Amino acid sequence: MVNRMIISNILHRPVRTAVSALAVAIEVGMVMLVVGLTHGMVHENARRVEGVGADLLIQPPNSSFLFGLSQAPMPLKIGDRLAQVPHVLAVAPALFVLNSVGGINVIYGIDLQSFTRLSGGFVYHAGGPFTGPMDILVDDIYAKANRIKVGQQINMLNHQFRVAGIVEHGKGARLFIPLATAEDLLGVQDRASIFYVKCTEPGYVESVTEAIHDLPGKYQVLPIKEYMSLMTSNNLPGLDAFITAMIGIAVAIGFLVIFLSMYTTITERTREIGILKSLGASKGYIIAIILREAGLLSVVGILAGYGGAAVGRKAILAAFPTLSVELTFLWALYAASLALLGSLLGAFYPALRAAQLDPVDALAYE
Amino acid sequence: MDPIIATRDLRKVYRLGRVEVPALRGVDLTVQEGEFVAVVGPSGCGKSTLLHVLGGLTSPSTGSVLVDGNDFTRMSDADRTRFRRHKIGFVFQRFNLLPTLTAQQNIAIAQHIQGNGFNPHRFQAIVEMLGLQEKLKRRPYALSGGEQQRVAIARAVICEPKILLADEPTGNLDSENSQVVLNMMRTLNRTFRQTILMITHNPEAAAVADRIIRMRDGRIISD
Repeated sequence: MVNRMIISNILHRPVRTAVSALAVAIEVGMVMLVVGLTHGMVHENARRVEGVGADLLIQPPNSSFLFGLSQAPMPLKIGDRLAQVPHVLAVAPALFVLNSVGGINVIYGIDLQSFTRLSGGFVYHAGGPFTGPMDILVDDIYAKANRIKVGQQINMLNHQFRVAGIVEHGKGARLFIPLATAEDLLGVQDRASIFYVKCTEPGYVESVTEAIHDLPGKYQVLPIKEYMSLMTSNNLPGLDAFITAMIGIAVAIGFLVIFLSMYTTITERTREIGILKSLGASKGYIIAIILREAGLLSVVGILAGYGGAAVGRKAILAAFPTLSVELTFLWALYAASLALLGSLLGAFYPALRAAQLDPVDALAYE
Repeated sequence: MDPIIATRDLRKVYRLGRVEVPALRGVDLTVQEGEFVAVVGPSGCGKSTLLHVLGGLTSPSTGSVLVDGNDFTRMSDADRTRFRRHKIGFVFQRFNLLPTLTAQQNIAIAQHIQGNGFNPHRFQAIVEMLGLQEKLKRRPYALSGGEQQRVAIARAVICEPKILLADEPTGNLDSENSQVVLNMMRTLNRTFRQTILMITHNPEAAAVADRIIRMRDGRIISD
C-alpha cells in the first residue's frame, strides 16, 4: 500500500521526479567517470610499463616512480655493469622527454636494439623501425587519436619528426625516438632516465635486486610487481585528494537536490501529512514514507547514472582515444551507496519536519 | 454503563504570540456508546476544537478527557496517535482524500496504518453499504463531492473505530448529496451502533442525530 502511494506520488509530480533522479544520476555518473578516468589512466600507464617485459626498473637514487616527474638521468655506462650482473638477460635504457604539445606525453628515447632484445620487439601496424635521427614511432592508439600516418611529419618538442612506424600499443610509452636524439633534445650525453632489466628467470629477481644494490651509485631498484602495486591513485600525489573532492561535490549535488526536492514536497503535501496523522500515522510511519520516496528516487537516479556513465565512457573514448576509463563493479557499488546515503540524509530533515507537523495545522493548510 | 466520551471542565487555550485565545472554557460532556450526537453553534464557538481534542489531534490545556476509558490528559502525543489509529475515525468537511490514490487505496490506507492488514470482508461490506463499488478505481478528482465524502466515510469506519468524529461532513455538499451522506451516517449508527459525534451548522443535518448539543463561546449552552 505504502509502495503504491510512494509510486503514485512520484508519478504525480513528473518534473520534480525527473530533476531529482537526474541530480542523483549526475552524482553517480560523475563519481564513476572521475574515478574511472583517474584509475583507468593510472592503470593503463602501469600496464604499458609492465608491457615492456622487464622484471626490474633501475632509476637514479631518490627518483619518483612517476616517470614523467623524474628525468634525472644516469650515466649510460651503468647499463654495461647491469648487464654483467649474474642472471640478467637483457638491459634496455630509456631517456624520458616530456612533451606538452597536444597533451602531456612521456616520449621514450630508446636504443632500438636493446629495447627490442628486452621487450621482444615492436609489432608494426605500418612502417618500420627508425631509419634516421628525426624518426619517431607512435603507437596505434596515439596514431588513431591524432590521425597520424606513416611518413607524415609531426611537430614534437619544437622539431619536425617523420613518423617511421606505427606500433602496437602497450610497451612503455606511446611515442619513441632514438636515444641519441632524446639526448640532443635534453642537452645531455650518454644518459638514461631508467634501465629496464630482464632476468633470465623471474625467480632471480630477488638475487639480481640485491646484486644491483651492491653496485656503486645506490641506484633505486624497483621490481615490476612492486611498481604495479604502487601505481594506484593512493600513491599518486594529489590524485586521491582530487578524487575525494570530486566525489564530495557530486554527493553534495545529490544531497542538496534531494533535500530541496523533499523539502518542497513536504510543504506541498502538508495537508496530506495532516490526513495521514488524522488516520493515526505515527512519526515513524511518516518518516519512513518520505525516506522510502527519496530512496526510490535515488534508485531511479542510480540506474540512470549507470547508463550515463556507460554513455559518458563511450563519448570520452570516442573523443579522446588515448584516455582510459575503468568502470568497475566496486565503484558502481560505492557510487550507489554514496547516492543512496546522500539522498536519505538529504530527505531526513524534511521527513523529520513532516513528522513533527501539528496535525490540526497541517489539516488546515491551504 | 460508562460513557464512551466524558469530559470534565475541559479547557483549551491557544496562544497567538502573546495573546491567549480561549477556545474551550470548561466543557462538561458525556456521550454513551452508540449515540449519534450533533454539536451545533456559531463559528468560533469551539466546536472544531472540541472535535480535535476528542480525536486526540491536539491536547487539552486543562480538565479531563476520558475517551473509551483513556485519559487524554495523561497520554503522550504518541499514545494519542496510537489511540486515534485504533479507536477514532474522522470525516472532514473538505473530504481530505489523498489525491494520488484511488478511492480503494484511500480506504485501504487506513487499514494499512492501523497495521492489521487488508480485511476484504469488512472492505466489501463498507463499500457496498456506501454504494462505492463502481467508483473504487477512480481518483478523488474524478469523483463528485458526494462520492468523495462517501469514500471519506468508508475510510473513517473501515477499521471499526469506537467513535466517528465528523466535522461539518455536509458543509461542502449540495442538499441532495448532504442527504445521502447523512442517511449513510444514520445507517452506520443504526446498523453497527457506531458512536458518532458530528459538528454542523446545518439544523437539518443536526436533526438526523439522536441528541443535539449547542455551544457558544467555548461552552455548552444546551444539551
